[in-house]
Amino acid sequence: MVAIEVAEVGLRVRLYGLGSVYGKTIRDSRLAVLLVALLTAGLVSVAGAATSAAFATPEARRELAALATTLPALFQGFYGRPLALETLGGIIEWRYPVILFLIAPVWSIVALSATLASEARRGSLELVLVTPATRRRVALEKVGGHLTMVALIALVVAVATWFTGAAFATLPGDAISVQAAFAFGLLTGLLILVPGAIAFALAPLLGRGMAAGIAAALMVVAYLVNGFQSAISGVAVFTPLSWYTWVDDHIPLAGRYDWASLVPLALLAAVLLAVGVVAFDRRDVGSTVPFRSPHMPRSLVGLRGPISRSFSERLPVAMTWGIGIGLYALVLATSSQSLADAIHQNPVLDELMRNLFPTLDYASPGGVLQLVFLEFAFLVFGFAAVTIVAGWASDETSGRLELLLSTPRTRARWAIESGLGAYLSIVVLALVVAAGIAIGAVAVGGDAITPALGMLAPAVFTAALAGVGFAVGGLLRASWAAPAVAFVTLATFLIDLFVPALKLPDSLHELALSTHLGRPMVGEWDIPGMLLCLGIAAAGLAVGAWGMARRDLRS
Amino acid sequence: MTAAIQTEKLTKTYGAHRGIIDVELTVDEGEIFGFLGPNGAGKTTTIRTLLDLIRPTSGRALIFGIDTTADPVAVHRRVGYLPGEFALYDRLTGRQTIDYFANLRGGVDGAYQASLIERFDLDPTRRFKEYSKGNKQKVGLVIALQHRPHLLILDEPTSGLDPLMQQTFFELLRETAADGRTAFLSSHILSEAEKTCHRVAIIREGRLVMVDRVEALRDLAHHQVELRFSGPVPTSAFEALPGVSEVVSEDHVLRMRVSGAMTPIVQAAARYELLDFVSREPSLEETFLAQYSRGAGDGGDRGG
Repeated sequence: MVAIEVAEVGLRVRLYGLGSVYGKTIRDSRLAVLLVALLTAGLVSVAGAATSAAFATPEARRELAALATTLPALFQGFYGRPLALETLGGIIEWRYPVILFLIAPVWSIVALSATLASEARRGSLELVLVTPATRRRVALEKVGGHLTMVALIALVVAVATWFTGAAFATLPGDAISVQAAFAFGLLTGLLILVPGAIAFALAPLLGRGMAAGIAAALMVVAYLVNGFQSAISGVAVFTPLSWYTWVDDHIPLAGRYDWASLVPLALLAAVLLAVGVVAFDRRDVGSTVPFRSPHMPRSLVGLRGPISRSFSERLPVAMTWGIGIGLYALVLATSSQSLADAIHQNPVLDELMRNLFPTLDYASPGGVLQLVFLEFAFLVFGFAAVTIVAGWASDETSGRLELLLSTPRTRARWAIESGLGAYLSIVVLALVVAAGIAIGAVAVGGDAITPALGMLAPAVFTAALAGVGFAVGGLLRASWAAPAVAFVTLATFLIDLFVPALKLPDSLHELALSTHLGRPMVGEWDIPGMLLCLGIAAAGLAVGAWGMARRDLRS
Repeated sequence: MTAAIQTEKLTKTYGAHRGIIDVELTVDEGEIFGFLGPNGAGKTTTIRTLLDLIRPTSGRALIFGIDTTADPVAVHRRVGYLPGEFALYDRLTGRQTIDYFANLRGGVDGAYQASLIERFDLDPTRRFKEYSKGNKQKVGLVIALQHRPHLLILDEPTSGLDPLMQQTFFELLRETAADGRTAFLSSHILSEAEKTCHRVAIIREGRLVMVDRVEALRDLAHHQVELRFSGPVPTSAFEALPGVSEVVSEDHVLRMRVSGAMTPIVQAAARYELLDFVSREPSLEETFLAQYSRGAGDGGDRGG
């Protein structure tokens, strides 16, 4: 009898590497986790630096606190609770929660929705499941890997927060204790985990795309419900369902701790993850609940050529973004009167607003949208551009471009026509949002045309971003197109957020394309800026077509 | 007559990685031409270069005399293509997908399109994402065939098809050739090529090893000879014979590979008590493996 020598799998590769499902999960997510950790830790550090530069004296801090506490609730929706604004930590946690609590979780949604569902779809999961490991164990190892990475991000945030307090403290009370930094890191980790856990629970039932979409939508709604509960009537009813409300009293950087509130948050994540594991264990691999989306009318299916096909493919995404953003804009527009009343009732604030915005009618729907919506619109329109450009790139990354280009059509023509189809979808996105604004404005008897026309600015901004994507995708490779758009979107947002706060030169601020678009919601147009965006869009498409004609296809 | 496909020292490299090297190939009009090779040999790279989906590092490819990089649109007008792997539009039905490609080409005969759908027994009302692998392949085949192209370039065309549908596909191929049209298909399933192709080429590690008629290719193979004796026989009695190689002894049985005449083997075997003599004609697969195991430079006719 021949003895078979079986090599032992080392502990190191079981923990990180190809020795186990857990190790491979860690290994596969290292780059994404590095980016999220850098983003979150970098944000906390830059926010600390910006705060200590902009509010270096006790008087400046007191003025900020006065302003923050008198601002109408509508303005505060995206901010945290204004507590301990005389300290560095209090300002950071009040001013910058969006990126930490709303953007960083996107990684968790993408990762946890895909970890089993994507592998099931491409077939690799079946090979994993025929190894001597139970389904439950495979799912648990995947979850374990993700939890480890979330814990790592939380630790990085905690260390960065403590470091920020140590490095940028300018006034007494600015130092951030280890306990506060740890509590903040833990909160960040849990808020990153929960939306991902929702996606994980839904993915075995609905598939990756729908699970991720629902989780992202629930996250945004939960955030808005918490932020706007006192600003918009009727919203408060839903606050018990928002996990952001559960931890509303846990503001560690402002010195307020509510450790108990973290327990339900952790329990929610644990239950959702367990649901996902059990659903995966019990259901057929890769089998999702039959969900038949309605067939598109034949006139919209777009079978005539690449323009109509590209437009048709991007249309559902554009409509989804448009409806979501449009509903939010509608609610803001209808709240303009209550905002005006709140400001007029506070003489100090009334004077402050008149001094800050002498030519802006902040009681009109357009004025409100200019103040509280446009910056957000640029960010979310940018994310919409990411998804639209990713769809455009999928022709090549999925391999169907080979078939398309085997028809009698030049590559340049295909690139231009499919790009034009994507631009048309951006027009639809802007039109849907404009419709939401117009309905809201009409509902309160305000001017509907001016703010609705204002959507031209985000539309040309989005087209410019897409143009950058087309240029990168055409010139270099299709799979880089969407990441390039995401990079420019985030860079624009961060430049707009931090450059003024850090008192950096205006020339740096002007790198953000959004600074060149005037105040479109109140009819003040920056025509050269608009033309610049259109020029980038056109040039991007032309460069992409030129590049596409010269390089090898990749699939 | 202009060749349907002609390549001249066609080379494609990916940085330090080999793609294809100095591929010289001629496929005549009206031929069904098999392009054989194991995974990673360079079949798909060659096909993608023929279609200008990737550009040659050096050399050139001509389709009906047209340089593929100079006028790819003119080439594509005359070609029907099926990629080895592809994904189409998840939300479109099979019918819509086929119609879309018909619209991109123009001039597709609706009746012929319908007949293809019927012959492939494809339900065109289902969405592409709902199709099985085989049905997706059928959609791809209809797209490739529906405009009656002068040249079909098909990468692993029977992948995922059941035997009945494979038969339908081979019938269509034969009809294509009967119309005077050309088919170039890559495969690693040699029995397919054996049944349908007029000529085959074997590619190995990016280089063309052989191009010849199917029958000629088989003739080149070494026969497998098995001799059963009543008692032990030394292998040395056969090893030195002309055309004999790989002599293996097991109990009283000798196995060897023989090329050329059998007379010396028979004469040597007659010196012992021979119980049985089996000489097996090689399949194309064995020929392929034999060619594959030989050095690239040992191959036969190049350039067909």
